[in-house]
Amino acid sequence: MKKLMTLALAIGSIFLAIGLGQVQKPSDLKFPTLKYEPPDPKAFRMQFANGLRGYVQEDRSLPLFSISALINFGGLYVPKDKQGLAETMSGTLIKGGTKTKEGSVIEERIDFLGGILSFNVGERTATLSLSVLSKDLDEALGIFFDVLMNAEFREDALKLSKSRLIEQLRQVNDNPSTILSREYEKLLYGDHPLTWQPAKKTYESITATDLKAVHGQYFFPKNIILAAAGDFNKAELKTKIDKIVAIWKNKDLKSPSFSRQFPQLEAGVYFIQKAINQGYISLGHLGIEDTNPDYFAVQVMNFILGGGSFSSRITMKVRSNEGLSYNQGSRFAFRWGFPGTFSGYVQTKSSTVGYAISLILNEFERIRKEPVSDAEMETAINYYLESFADTFQSPQATMSNFANLEMTGKPMDYFKTYRDKIKAVTKTRVQEVATKYIHPDKAAIMIVGDFEPCNKGGDKWPGPLDKLGKVHKINLIDPLTGEEIK
Amino acid sequence: MKRTLTLLFTLLAFASLIAAADIKLDVKEHVLPNGMKILMIQKPGVPRVVCHIYFKVGSINERPGITGLAHVHEHMMFKGTQMMGVTDPAKDAAIDKKIDELMDKIYREKYWKAAGGDKAKLAQWQKEYDELVKSEKQYIIKDDLWNLYMKNGGTALNASTGNENTGYYVTLPSNKVELQMLLESDRMLNAYFREFYSEKDVIMEERRLSENRPGFFFSEQVNAAFYAASPYHWEVIGWMDDLRKLTKPDLNEFHTKYYVPNNCVAIYVGDFDPANIIALAEKYFGRVPKGPDIEPIRTYEPPQYGEKRMYGEGPAPTSLQIMFHTPQEGQPDAAPLSILADVLGSGGGGFGPRGGGGMGGTGRLYKILVQEKQMAVNASAFGRPQWYVGAFQISAMPRIDKNVQPEDLEKEIWAEIEKIKKEGVTPDEIQKAKNRNEAMFIRSLGITMGLAGRAGRAELNRGWKAILTDLDDLKKVTNDDIKRVAAKYFVKDNSLTAIYKRKMGR
Repeated sequence: MKKLMTLALAIGSIFLAIGLGQVQKPSDLKFPTLKYEPPDPKAFRMQFANGLRGYVQEDRSLPLFSISALINFGGLYVPKDKQGLAETMSGTLIKGGTKTKEGSVIEERIDFLGGILSFNVGERTATLSLSVLSKDLDEALGIFFDVLMNAEFREDALKLSKSRLIEQLRQVNDNPSTILSREYEKLLYGDHPLTWQPAKKTYESITATDLKAVHGQYFFPKNIILAAAGDFNKAELKTKIDKIVAIWKNKDLKSPSFSRQFPQLEAGVYFIQKAINQGYISLGHLGIEDTNPDYFAVQVMNFILGGGSFSSRITMKVRSNEGLSYNQGSRFAFRWGFPGTFSGYVQTKSSTVGYAISLILNEFERIRKEPVSDAEMETAINYYLESFADTFQSPQATMSNFANLEMTGKPMDYFKTYRDKIKAVTKTRVQEVATKYIHPDKAAIMIVGDFEPCNKGGDKWPGPLDKLGKVHKINLIDPLTGEEIK
Repeated sequence: MKRTLTLLFTLLAFASLIAAADIKLDVKEHVLPNGMKILMIQKPGVPRVVCHIYFKVGSINERPGITGLAHVHEHMMFKGTQMMGVTDPAKDAAIDKKIDELMDKIYREKYWKAAGGDKAKLAQWQKEYDELVKSEKQYIIKDDLWNLYMKNGGTALNASTGNENTGYYVTLPSNKVELQMLLESDRMLNAYFREFYSEKDVIMEERRLSENRPGFFFSEQVNAAFYAASPYHWEVIGWMDDLRKLTKPDLNEFHTKYYVPNNCVAIYVGDFDPANIIALAEKYFGRVPKGPDIEPIRTYEPPQYGEKRMYGEGPAPTSLQIMFHTPQEGQPDAAPLSILADVLGSGGGGFGPRGGGGMGGTGRLYKILVQEKQMAVNASAFGRPQWYVGAFQISAMPRIDKNVQPEDLEKEIWAEIEKIKKEGVTPDEIQKAKNRNEAMFIRSLGITMGLAGRAGRAELNRGWKAILTDLDDLKKVTNDDIKRVAAKYFVKDNSLTAIYKRKMGR
């Protein structure tokens, strides 16, 4: 079996443990040096016909072929009265067939080959992915591009998909964590394309013409980046793809522009009633973009605050010390082109909701006011440096990472310079970014739970919840009727 | 997914190259003198090593009164040893002993006496407990093991408990595997369970998280009704009553019995030199003394001799579930049942519980119920062979907009089952299921953590080679086999039908 490894790596000389004395404690361990250089995107970048770009890696370890197309189109581009178009397109790009084939014929064939073909529309990118045995590469590649180029959105498949999606709307207010993440974003971003939701009415309005229009507008070679890895010859694959896409016409991309104005958030408690025995909580405000030069310092800071699981302060205080919760922490979420969100989070029994929130708010304050310890810095920075190679375990995932960097306009030396930028973060920088980006006094505290017991509190933190700020009650919307649920 | 045992006692490391299709799975095996098995799968390239240990113990090794203990114990394995998580073990132990004695008094007062015991006494003892816990804090180094792994670039750091086994996971840079050997052998040898009582609170919160998942309570009852006798009767998380009442002696007894080298396997997948792994394993795991042999569980499921039906309502989607008892994994009927699950359920529509794999929607149930008759939102089938008892499950969600009831779907599904008993399925359907299984197997070889889990768990039950022999068995399945197993297992007296209807609460 051939093995082509383009990753540059050098492992220090292998040592033999035999003969070494018994180690008593971890600090006695001496590890051999390990050097690792990440793969260079340039070595994998390919230019196909008609301006189609891609990242391609031969990997002969298994007889498999994977390819994905990253398309510069997402749910964000869908108008308010057509919400659900992204979901409908996810459900019909394949099932709706192509100009020459029924969707069921395509699915049946891919399934028969033991392959996987899937399509999903995300916030600003959509992805068509294929994985098959390499012996079926030619046939499957043909199907892959047929779906990508010639999707037909046939009426029967569209109708079925819409009814199923509408039926699924019955579940949108079932799960407390789903409710919390949706409503938290709605609160932070306000009435914005980032937070618009589909409803029965908007699903019903979606037509095959809408889908074809969107497909025509965004699915063209220059608006797509491929990522492929597996058991093939790179040059041969290029010839095959070039031949298929030679007839595929480019369009002029009219990139929509979006408002970056978000509402002024009123600090306080936002409560959503649900008869459950815990409160599901998110507290925070808008965060930053990952193109912000402070990104790396924020990563290290958040690791210490609540992102580094058991090595972080919130987990230690709320879970290990107090036994208040199973899942807790803090996160900066990122999104392309917009500031992401910052949140502390926890789920705890109703009587300790107020107490858990107060502990998290204390940690928000503490990381702003006091420098972090040397030990905390060491753990956080070493974690990022020592785990770095993990990102490149799968060739297909690595190619997709590169495609994503290029699509979102990030520097292509992102991975090359990553460790240096982490290393450069100091204690002073950690405190600076904590002060700059964490504002407990401006935080919205959102709770999904049973109001009465949450409001009552317990021994260590007796209620009421308005001790944390003005309590606003939020009513959910029933997407089937468009009415508020009282 | 879980699997049973067979320990090979050989002191020589040897390589086994087994071919399934044209694909080779090269697993190197080594057995330590204390019976602990070491498996190694080399994947040169990125300098990382997936390091997993699987113990042959899970919730099925519990009994009424201590349900949830396997999982509680897994949590407690992160709470320190004589070496880790403590600054002064002697001083800490003195306080810890007092805590345990006090908690024993509280336990007897609260749970053994009528009406929950003397409230004033309990309050006083609770105060004493709080003070002791406070004074112990000065000697505790919080989450020491976790921090150490993180600082050394440990990722996918976790542990999980299943019905049949418990796994401890970390992926490390390839120059630091020795750290895993030191820490894991240390917690087998020297576990010391600090902060037991607050960790039980954490686990009760974990159970509440499950409880707040729509439909959880009903599915917990369905599971308990389906498995009447075997210890698959309770969920891994355990009953809340037992979580409250588990004691330190329960925990210690469990650890001593099950966390022995002859009851586990360590598996390494990644970029390493096997000779080095073996040398390190001899040095670290080799020091853990062998324990007594462990008896497998006794109680399997007896025949049901009668149809079971359950009805429930609550804040989750209206749904239908039909379950049948089937043989455990490795039995001759397991392969045709697996092919049949794939024929019925492959695709399943992409959302809904246990889709059966893939977004294809090419399974028979999907085609008939979702596509042709448009009676269901989704429909799936799933085979769960398990180590000691098997289950076959069909699930579907009716189209409420068309006023379809779960009972309507039930009729349709039975009509299809009766048809399969007579005619079987098509040669294309069988071939498709075989192809899908083979391709899934090849794909699984490229996913290091998944491969470690599959081979490691399989080793504990029928040996890792069972992964390959199971695949070969699937290839031999014929339409006659399908008809035979459908007729044998898909009968009312062997079934449980669960019907759930949405009813919104407050």
